[in-house]
Amino acid sequence: MMPTWPAAAPAPGVQASSTAYATTYSAYTPVQVRQSFGQAYTVPQPSYPVTHTYGPAPPSMPSATNPASNPSPPPPAVPEQQKTKIDWPDSVRRYVQRAFMPANLDSTVTRAEMEAKLKETITQANESGVMYTLDWDSMPLPQQMIREERARVLRPHLSKSETPTPTQAPTAKKRKSWDVNDAAPADSSSTTPPWRTGAGRLQDRVTFANDRRQIADEPLKPSSKFSRADKRQKRNEGEYKTYREDTPPPSAGPVVGTCQDLEKRYLRLTSAPKPSQVRPPHILRQTLELLKKRWKKDQNYAYICDQFKSMRQDLTVQRVRDEFTVEVYEIHARIALEKGDLGEYNQCQTQLKALYKLGLKGKPNEFKAYRILYYIHTANRTELNNALADLTAAEKKDKAIKHALDVRSALALGNYHRFFQLYNDTPNMGAYLMDMFVGRERLHALCNICKAYKQDVPLRFVTEELYFESDVEAAQFILDHGGQDLLDDRNGSIVFLTAKAGNRFEGPRAKAFARVDIKGQI
Amino acid sequence: MAFDSVFFNEFSDAWSRRDGYRLARTLSPEVSAEELKTIYNSTNAHDIKSSVRRGLQGNAALVVGIARDEINAARESDGGNDSESPQLVWTKVFEAWTDVLNQLLRGYQNHGFEAWTIPCLYIVCKNLRAFAIKADDERNSSSVEDTTANNLQDDFDPDTNKNQKLEECARTLSRVFMICQTDRAPIEESRKWGSYYIANLLLKTYFKLNSASLSKNILNSLRASGRDMPDFSAFPKSQRVTFKYHEGVLAFLEENYVQAETCLTEAWDLCHKDAVRNKERILTYLIPCHLINNHTLPTKKLLEPYPRLQKLFLPLCQCIKRGELHKFDLALQEGEDEFVKRRIYLTLERGRDIALRNLLRKVFIARGFEEAKPGEKPVRRTRVPVAEFAAAISLGSEEKIDNDEVECLLANMIYKGHMKGYISRQHGMVVLSKSGAFPGTGV
Repeated sequence: MMPTWPAAAPAPGVQASSTAYATTYSAYTPVQVRQSFGQAYTVPQPSYPVTHTYGPAPPSMPSATNPASNPSPPPPAVPEQQKTKIDWPDSVRRYVQRAFMPANLDSTVTRAEMEAKLKETITQANESGVMYTLDWDSMPLPQQMIREERARVLRPHLSKSETPTPTQAPTAKKRKSWDVNDAAPADSSSTTPPWRTGAGRLQDRVTFANDRRQIADEPLKPSSKFSRADKRQKRNEGEYKTYREDTPPPSAGPVVGTCQDLEKRYLRLTSAPKPSQVRPPHILRQTLELLKKRWKKDQNYAYICDQFKSMRQDLTVQRVRDEFTVEVYEIHARIALEKGDLGEYNQCQTQLKALYKLGLKGKPNEFKAYRILYYIHTANRTELNNALADLTAAEKKDKAIKHALDVRSALALGNYHRFFQLYNDTPNMGAYLMDMFVGRERLHALCNICKAYKQDVPLRFVTEELYFESDVEAAQFILDHGGQDLLDDRNGSIVFLTAKAGNRFEGPRAKAFARVDIKGQI
Repeated sequence: MAFDSVFFNEFSDAWSRRDGYRLARTLSPEVSAEELKTIYNSTNAHDIKSSVRRGLQGNAALVVGIARDEINAARESDGGNDSESPQLVWTKVFEAWTDVLNQLLRGYQNHGFEAWTIPCLYIVCKNLRAFAIKADDERNSSSVEDTTANNLQDDFDPDTNKNQKLEECARTLSRVFMICQTDRAPIEESRKWGSYYIANLLLKTYFKLNSASLSKNILNSLRASGRDMPDFSAFPKSQRVTFKYHEGVLAFLEENYVQAETCLTEAWDLCHKDAVRNKERILTYLIPCHLINNHTLPTKKLLEPYPRLQKLFLPLCQCIKRGELHKFDLALQEGEDEFVKRRIYLTLERGRDIALRNLLRKVFIARGFEEAKPGEKPVRRTRVPVAEFAAAISLGSEEKIDNDEVECLLANMIYKGHMKGYISRQHGMVVLSKSGAFPGTGV
C-alpha cells in the first residue's frame, strides 16, 4: 500500500487537547451575582473572557513542562494503514518502498521504530513545505538515521568511559529513541538489540538513579525517586518532535508527583499523567496558600479557577483523599459560588459529598446547607426529598442547615415575608445561592400582592416586604417587568397601583419559574 | 428417578395442557430443601438435560433443564459450602439465574417459544430481582469489599456499588421489556402480553434504586405503542392495579396531583378487596392527593382497616380540621421521618394552608352577622380587621406573628383562592366576599 495520509491531519492527542480547552471555557456558566447586597441585580457581571487573563506570568512557570500546551507537530500514523486520498509525490512513495525493501532492512532496528522515523521525516518535510522539492532518492533511509542516532548517543559515554556498557547512564537524547520503543512496542518476532532486552531495561531502571547521582550536577533532590523522575522530565522536555506523545499504557498504581512548581495551568489529561508534571501534596499545600493570597489580592477568577482545577487534578491522579483534599474542594466551591460559576461549584459539591461520606473532616454542614438551597433554586423536588431524608436530627439543628430548611419551608408555604427575612440573614455564603432565585420569588410575591391588595399600597411597603435596598430599586424592578403605569405620585409619596396591575406579573413569574437547567447538575 | 418423577411429570403435564402459569411454577427456584437434596443426589446436570430433552424434545425443555441445573448448583453451594470462606453465594445465584433468563430469552427470540409460555418469563424475572437484592445485601454486609475498581475512578462515590446487582438486574429487565414490546407477531401470539408484568417489575426496581426518573421511558414506551397493544382492560386485573399504582405515584412525585389522583383512584377501584397491604399503599398517596386537589380529609371509617395509615395521617388531619397551626407543625415534625421516606412530606406540608384557612374561617364565623334589616336574610360581617386575624394566627401558631407577616399569609390565601376578598392596607382591614368568602366550605 502507498503512504497516503492526510498532510494536515492532527494527531489524536493534539486534537483532544484543543477540545479540552474549548470545553473548559464553556464550563464557566456566567451567572449574575451581586458583589454586595447593595448591588443586587443591578450590576451585571461580565461574562468570562475567552482568553485567560492571567496576571504577569510567574517566572517559575516553565511553559515547557506542559507538552500539550505547546502541541508538537502531529505525528502521522503508520503509512501502510492510511487510506486517505492525499496525493503523495512519487518520490516519497519510492523512498518508503526503498526503506522497506528486504535488502535494506536492519535487524537491530524494529519495524515500529522505522515507521516512526519514516513518519517523522515525511511529516517534517511536508510541514516545512519541502516535500515536493526534497531529493528523496538520496535521502538516508530511516534505519540509517536510527543507527546514526544511536552512534551519536553512544559516543560521549564511551569517551567518558565512566560507564562501560551503554545500558547504564543513557542521556536525554538517548532516551528519545527508547521512548519510540515504549510507544510502539516492537514485534516479538523482530530481533532486538541486546540493550533493548527486558533485562537491560530493567537494569537501567534499577540502577539509573544511583548512576545518575554519581555523575549528577543537578540540584539535590529529596529522594532518588525524584531525581529519576526529574531526569524523565528533562527527557520529556526535549522530546516534542518525536513519536513520544502517544498514550503510554496506564500505570497500575497512583502517580507519585515530583513537580516542584507552585503554579500550573489546568489541562485536561488525554493520557496518563506524568509524575514530573504532578505536584505532590506538600507542594500543593504551598500552592493553596499562594492561591489564597492571590485571590484576596487580585480577584482574578479565570486564573484562580484554572489553578484550582489543576490542583484538583493533581490530587485526583495521586488519589489523595484526605482533609487537605476536602479543604481544596471547599475553597474552590466557595470561590465558584461567589463568582456564580455553578458548573465548577457542582463539580466540587459532588466530590465533597463523596469525601464527607468517607468520614473526612471539613464543613459538611455548611455544604449541606448550600445543597439544600441549590435544590430550591433548581426546584429539584426529588433531590430535595433525598436531602431531607439524609439529615440527622443534630444536623437539622445546625444554624446553616436550619436556615436552609426554613427557607425551604417559607417558600413551600408561600410565606414571602419570612423568606425575605431569612434572605437578609443568611449564614456563610448561602446568599450567593439565594441571589439566584430571589428574583423569581420577588415576582411571585408581587403577584400575591397585586391580587390581594386593593386599591394600592405604598411603594415603601413593596420595598420593605421584598427586601429591596431602596425605593428606587423596587421601582426599577416593577418597571423592568412591565409595570410602567403602575406607579403613582400621591402627595409626595409613591404608591403602587395593585388593583390596576391585575395579572400583569403572572407572565414574568411563570417564565422565571420555568425549569432551571444547569450544567453539571447534581 | 426422583427428579424425573416430581418435576418432569408436572412439566410435561403443564406443557400438554398449555397452562403457562403451571409451567412457570416448574421453573420456580422455590423448592424445598429436601426435594432439592433428592434431586441433587439422584441426578447430575447431564442427566437432567438429556432426560428432559428426551422427554419433550423441545427447546423449552432444554431451558428448563438448564435452569434447574444452574439453580440447583447455586443452591447447593449455598447449603454445602458453609464452612468455606465467606463466598458471595447470592452473587453466584444471581449470575446463574441471569444465565437462565438469557437462555429463556434466546428461546423466545430464536426458537419460537409461544406466547402462552410467557408466565415462565414472569417467574424468572421476578426471581432475578429477588436474587439481585439478596446479592447486594450479602455483598454490602460482607467484609469482602471490592474497593479497587472504585478507587481507580476519578469520580468516586463510596455508595456507587451499593446496588450493583440490582442495577444490573434493572438493565436486564429493561431488555426483557423491550423484547416483549417489540414483538410483531399477531396480537394473540404476541409477547406484548408480557409488557405490563415486566413493566411493573421494572418500575418497582427503579423505585427501589431511587431512580424513579428512569420510569418515564417505560411509560412513554407503553404510551407510544398504545395502538398496537392489546386494550389495557384486557390485561389481568392484578397487573392493571399495580401499573396504575406506579403510574399514579410517578405523577405524584412530579407534583401532577390531578393525574395522580385519577390513576390512584383507578387502582383503588380495581384493587382486590382483601389486598389490604396494597390498598394501604394506594391510600398513602391518594390521601395527600385529595388534600391538595379537593381539600378533603379521609374519614375515620375509611382508615379503620389500616392502623398504619391511622397513625400516619390522623393526627395531622385532626389539626387541619381544627385549624391548629402549632399542633400541625408538631404533628408534621413527629411524622417527618416516615413522611420523607414515603416522599409525601413536601405534599403534606401544604396541608398547613388548609389548616390556616379553617382557622381564618373560624374568625370570620365568630364575627357573626350584620344587624339584620327586617325581612332580609342575615349577612355576615365581611369587614374583618387584620388585627383579628393576627390574633387568631398568633394564638394558633403559639408565637407572636407581626401584622406584616399576617398580611402576607392572608395575601397567600387570597392568591391561592382559599379565600375571596381583598386587603386594604390603608385601613388595616380585610374585606371578604359576601358570597362564599371561603369557597367550598359553605360560608
